[in-house]
Amino acid sequence: MTGRPKLQSALLGLTPFVALVLIWQVAPSVFSYPAYMLPTVSEVGRRFIELTLNGELARSVGASLLRLAAAFVVGNLIAIPLGVLLAMNARVSRIVMPVAVFLQAVAGIAWAPLAVLWFGLGNTAVTFLVVNSVFFSSFYNAISGVRSIPPVLWRAVRSLGASPWQVVRELVLPGAMVQLLLGLRTSLALGWRALVAAELIIGTNGIGFLMMDATKWYGTDTIICGIVVIGVLWLAVDRFVFAAIERNTVRRWGMVNDN
Amino acid sequence: MTAAAELGTTPPRAMRRDRWWARAWQDGVEPLLGFAIVIAAWQAGSSLSGVPKVLFPSPADVVWALLDLFNTGILVEYVKLSLLHYLTGVAIGALAGVALGLAIASNRRVSDLLMPLVNFTYAIVEVAWIPLLILWWGYGPSIIIVAVAYVVASPLVHNVVTGVLSVPPVYGRAIRSLGGGSWSVLREVTLPAILPSVFNGVRVGAGFGFRALIFAEMIAQQEGVGYLIFTSAATQQTARTVAGMVVMGVLWLFLDRVYLRPLERASVERWGLTSDAGER
Repeated sequence: MTGRPKLQSALLGLTPFVALVLIWQVAPSVFSYPAYMLPTVSEVGRRFIELTLNGELARSVGASLLRLAAAFVVGNLIAIPLGVLLAMNARVSRIVMPVAVFLQAVAGIAWAPLAVLWFGLGNTAVTFLVVNSVFFSSFYNAISGVRSIPPVLWRAVRSLGASPWQVVRELVLPGAMVQLLLGLRTSLALGWRALVAAELIIGTNGIGFLMMDATKWYGTDTIICGIVVIGVLWLAVDRFVFAAIERNTVRRWGMVNDN
Repeated sequence: MTAAAELGTTPPRAMRRDRWWARAWQDGVEPLLGFAIVIAAWQAGSSLSGVPKVLFPSPADVVWALLDLFNTGILVEYVKLSLLHYLTGVAIGALAGVALGLAIASNRRVSDLLMPLVNFTYAIVEVAWIPLLILWWGYGPSIIIVAVAYVVASPLVHNVVTGVLSVPPVYGRAIRSLGGGSWSVLREVTLPAILPSVFNGVRVGAGFGFRALIFAEMIAQQEGVGYLIFTSAATQQTARTVAGMVVMGVLWLFLDRVYLRPLERASVERWGLTSDAGER
């Protein structure tokens, strides 16, 4: 935005983090609170190194990301084609839409008790919740994306005698693309929340479980490590996964227009 | 017959306009038909499959559970408590988000300095703070309120700062040259410019906040609709869990359609700069 060199503005942006860390480090000598409530930076750092070296952090993060990736792919692979197909018929879409709206409103963590009843505590129940969250969000967005295409375009395509496949490729996909992308992004954000939440409450491994387990023995240092890792992971997922998805879909969309 | 017609794509509206019964069917029956189909299939599945009620309660069981919860007064009390937690959290989050955003955006240098920190806190999902809050404050309503406030505030700060920075400085200078002070600039330029994105941010945050509410109530284990959903399953009253989920869905759709959406739309109509805003 400004003409300021990148390095300089990056350094400027780092300043508050450094200041925060310094304040946090000297806080125990200024304020008095029980040490378990807020361990110092060096203690958290030591714990972080410990968790990294004994492999616990990598195992937890790996388990969480694997589940998220699987749930994101599976949920969207079912939800988007199904939503698009149903919404291509105006009457079916009018009938399905209210149900989709309602299910999207209760999707995710509210299913936790049912997931535990059906699958027991652990991996399957957590994955079910994330898939559930991703599915209903994308399903809703796919339907509303197709419905948002103006009726005049349907009529135009129809009067030009398009084949069903041409209708999908020339009208439905490009027309609903913005909403489909929004659906992908929203489903990832909701899936990520559902994942962390589910691991906290019914998980047996993963980053959320690592943190919740630590509350039992006042492992505040572990919890803070977890919070920072969760922030960094989301930034990475958002930046790399989403930049890639958007680039590719927009590029593909461009190719559709070229034909 | 064309291919598109075979697919049953949207027929011209004008053809249907004069048939009142077709419109009544379309507006009155079709929206409910989906629910009727789902409930019928659910009831059939539940009674024919022979799965125990604890694992798969039928819609009839859920209705009885709902009536029972209503008659004992639990439902009304928990909905009230959930709404109290939720509205308190949203109000605190909205005020804090706007105030913090305006403070950060008041000075370009300050905003350059603090934006990375703001973006990082935005990236940390609210549920990640819950274990820390539990250690600090124990299980209780304060966790619920903080979780909701956090998820409402963090995207708002981002929206407010980018909103304020995108206002061309010339408008502020115009007000100042006409003799207005900082307060006039805030009231006449900055606030009208950012309010649509503030209300949009509140609505998006409120959506995530509602999930955070249910989850925090589940984990804080004291009261509210989330607690009802969670604890009922633990005591084998699965129909109550499903009833709680239905209440949760209805509550959220009510809040969203009756308050949040109209509020957002009104803010766009009143202050929005886009020309098509009035058409919706």
